[in-house]
This record gives sequence, C-alpha cells and structure tokens, in this order.
Amino acid sequence: MHCERARELLSPYLDGELSPDEQRSMAAHIEECDRCARLATEFRRIGRTIAEAAREPAPHTLAPRVRAALVQATAAEGEGALLLPARPGAVGWVRARPQMHQAAVLAAACVLTALATWWVVSASDQQRRLEQEVVSAHIRSLLQERQIEVASSDMHTVKPWFAGRVDFSPEVKDLTSEGFVLLGGRVDYIDGRRVGVLVYKRRQHTINVFVWPSARSESTPPRSMAQKGYNLMTWSHNGLTRWAITDLNAGELRQLQELM
Amino acid sequence: MTLLSRFERLALPCMEAAYNLAFWLVRSRPDAEDIVQEAYLRALRSFGTFRGEDMRPWLLAIVRNAAYRWLNHRRRTGNVVSLEEAYAGNVGEESGGGEIAADEPSAEARLIGAAERDYVVRALAELPPAFREVLVLRELEGFSYRDIAEVTGAPIGTVMSRLSRGRGELRKALTRLIEKDEPNAL
Repeated sequence: MHCERARELLSPYLDGELSPDEQRSMAAHIEECDRCARLATEFRRIGRTIAEAAREPAPHTLAPRVRAALVQATAAEGEGALLLPARPGAVGWVRARPQMHQAAVLAAACVLTALATWWVVSASDQQRRLEQEVVSAHIRSLLQERQIEVASSDMHTVKPWFAGRVDFSPEVKDLTSEGFVLLGGRVDYIDGRRVGVLVYKRRQHTINVFVWPSARSESTPPRSMAQKGYNLMTWSHNGLTRWAITDLNAGELRQLQELM
Repeated sequence: MTLLSRFERLALPCMEAAYNLAFWLVRSRPDAEDIVQEAYLRALRSFGTFRGEDMRPWLLAIVRNAAYRWLNHRRRTGNVVSLEEAYAGNVGEESGGGEIAADEPSAEARLIGAAERDYVVRALAELPPAFREVLVLRELEGFSYRDIAEVTGAPIGTVMSRLSRGRGELRKALTRLIEKDEPNAL
C-alpha cells in the first residue's frame, strides 16, 4: 500500500471502520512504514487525550432541572398533547409541580374508566348515521370545485375566519412540519347544524376534519372505522366532536389524530 | 408505565453525552444547560417517533439541532461564528482530506506532561464546529460512523472525511498553539 492511500484510510482504520481486508492491509503497512506509524500513534494519543481531558461534566443541578421541566410539560399539556411540536420559549421552565402531574394522571384514569363504561352502553345508531353523513360530505367536497372557502396555511387566518360563520371556535393547528399541510377551512352542514371543516393535505391525499360542539361534555377516545374505501376517525375533546375522513391509510390518519 | 417515565428511563442516562455535545458546540456552560433542557422537551414531544434500541444518536441529533439553532441565533444577534462559516470557511471540506504531512516535526514530540491536555482542549475548541462535533462524538462518546451520521444528518462518507480532516486540522492547531506558547520548544 502507498502512503498516500494509507493516509486516507488512517482515520477509519483507527476507528475500526474499515473492512477486515483493508484493516489487515493497513496494519501491515503501519508495520513497515515508520512515518505512517508515527502519525497513527500521534492520532491515537490525541484521541485518548480528548477522551481524558475534553469531557465536560454536566453540573449536578442539570438532571433535576430537566426532569422538573419534563414533569411540568407533561402536567401542563397532558401526555396525549406531548406529541405536538415543541413550543418556542420552552426553555426556562424550572419549577416542578409533581402533584399536578399526579392529579392529571388520576383525572385521566377516571375519565378513561367513565368513557369505557359509557362507550359500551351507547354505541349507537346515531354514530352510524353521523358516519354516513360525514362520508357523504367528504365525497361532496371532493366533487366540488371549491373544497376550501378560506385558503390559508396560517392557523391565525383560518381560526378567525370561522368567527361569525359557526357558533364555536374550532381549534386550528398548523401541522406542516409533521407532513400535514393545512390547506384551509370551510363550513359544511352535518347532523342538522353548521359545522367547521379543516382541510389538510398529506402528499396527494385530502383529509377533511369536521368539527362541532359535542352533545355531551365528556371527551371520547378516538374510534376508527372504514367505509367506501375511506378511513374515518372520530373523537371528542374540550367539548368539540371531530370527525376526520380521508383516503389516506389508517396509520397516518391516526397520526394526525394524535397530533391534533 | 407512563410515557414520561419510559422517556426518562431511556433519556436521562444520555444526559452527560447530551451536555458534552452541546457544550462543545456552543462552548458556554449555561447555554449548554439551556440547550439540553430545550432538547429534552423537544425529544419528549417527539418521543412517539423514536424507534429503535439506542436512544443516544436520536437524542443527540435533537441536541445538535438545538445547539445549531442557538449558534445561528447568536450569529444573527451579532457575534461569533456562523454555521456557514464553520462549514465553508478557510478549512475546506473536500480539499485534500488525506494529505497529512508526517514529515513536519510532530506535535506529539513537543508535548510535555500535563500541558498536553490543555493544548488538546484548546486546539479542539479552535476547530470549526463541523469538525469539533465529529471528534467529540467519536473520541468522547465512542460513536460508530453510522451513529455519527445519524446525529449529524450527513452521509457516512462525509463523516469519515470530516473525521480524517478534523484530526489533521486538530494536529495543525496543536502545533500552532505550541509554537506560539513555546517558540523555543523546537
């Protein structure tokens, strides 16, 4: 092996990243070439010195501080909401409120138990009728030229647009960084009332998310179903019922639901 | 087990590595602490996308992004090195990665005792971040090229040439520092 080639391979050789063959021929070269051997020794020694001297021990206050911030974020946002994009300015939350966290977990457990009971008792005709209506509305929207009445990827444009058009304020999230591009919104008519619709796009797939105030105040966990080749999910949270429908696969729809 | 405790079990053992990478990128202890905290919060929020066994490369990629955001912010607000300068500055990325002259008097030969550590640390601090980060990940954390590629988002070939070039530059910086401090050492 020529020195020139050996110099190129020296670094990966020292790191054990060469193929066994190359590793062997490098070792052989270093055996017989003093200059390359010297450089190898020097690099090894510098590497060892970095390992010994460059480590900057984390201050012992760091771990408790970070844990407190994590606990606080969990308590403030709820575990489900943790799948949302990070908010800027999150740095600097240092006060821990573990009791909040416990309370939130307890509350979540209670809600879940209550919901499970309620769900078993009342899976109903109403749901099936709504499902039909949502599918029809989705197909209608795809046939229309204007799927969107307010076209904007800016949630601060879309949310105010609903004011005066529906009697509630739907939560609008920009999920572009997660691959769900907000195209805009429109108003539709479902279950005898005006409802808000948020329109997202993922690749070539349109996702309509219908939103209206829930009849009951409880939240309901997400439920998935499929009809006429469309995937649907419905859930309610914060007093609003949502139905999402798309020709996207169920996994990615589920991802959108979690993000919302 | 809750999401938080699952996350903590995997992520807290990586904190030393996270802090070291942040520190070596921004070279400020308080800023490194803020960056680690921000990165951990971000990591918790995208924990759902974490697949795999070893959390370190995944987490350190988030730490690295936070550190570069911070560096860019610092550049915009007026001082110190930019990311662009770091990559495109006087130390060319592609030029002559393999050329290392072993005929110059070796830096090692002139290093004496405890001073050696001091020089190595100072020389490392002088390197552009693109080289500093791969050296820290390799020498301090013992990362494989694949893991370094995951952290830095660069192809493995680039990781290899940056390490090669980084070691050469580090050696040059060492020589320079020693000559400056001890002109009579030669």
